[in-house]
Amino acid sequence: MLASRAFSLVGRRSICTSLRLRAHGHAGVAKAEDFTLPAYVDRRDVPLPEVAFVRDLSAQQKALKEKEKASWTALSIDEKVELYRMKFNETYAEMNKGTNEWKTVLGAVFFFLGLTGVILIWQKHFMYGPIPHTFSEEWLSAQTKRMLDMRVNPVEGISAQWDFDKNEWKK
Amino acid sequence: LARGIQHTAVRQAHRKHEPNFHDKYGNLVLLGGAAVFVSVWGYVLTQLGMEWGLSPVGRITPREWRE
Repeated sequence: MLASRAFSLVGRRSICTSLRLRAHGHAGVAKAEDFTLPAYVDRRDVPLPEVAFVRDLSAQQKALKEKEKASWTALSIDEKVELYRMKFNETYAEMNKGTNEWKTVLGAVFFFLGLTGVILIWQKHFMYGPIPHTFSEEWLSAQTKRMLDMRVNPVEGISAQWDFDKNEWKK
Repeated sequence: LARGIQHTAVRQAHRKHEPNFHDKYGNLVLLGGAAVFVSVWGYVLTQLGMEWGLSPVGRITPREWRE
């Protein structure tokens, strides 16, 4: 089906070595050599990526990393969070979060199915000739009676649907 | 949604993510597409004058044909 849009088993990936870098941890444009180096990924099945998310630490962040070498009980909650965000881009909750993509997909599907209907309109207007007279109500009613009189398809077909005693269609 | 997260600290760490295309326009696309679909096919099925070849069963009342 829409395989390209189906969620893969491992969820959406955000590989942070793309050329158009949107992620916070990296400055500048990725050079060709970067693609040979271990990369950071947000993936459900890779809980500890090969590198930390933030590659180049600011002076403040470097100081924090030094503080991390001492006892962790000395770290405040905010410092712990900052250390987490230096190491990881998205939390598992953020990674696993669903999106509203299905709305765009379904809406687009409906739209293009609607366009198919427009094709039918074009065909009727420009291409088809008049409907044959054998489809008029008076012709069809006579035709149907003749078929029933002949007992056309009496086992499971049209004559099987007609009640010949009550003279009406079977309920 | 902080569903499944038990540690308060992590909930505080939640970054606000920029709304993407689907967040901004998803509902519009969904409803717009459905509206196009319903209107076009509603017209095609009823107003256009197509012969759909529906079964006479339950629809046509047989009429004497012999002259």
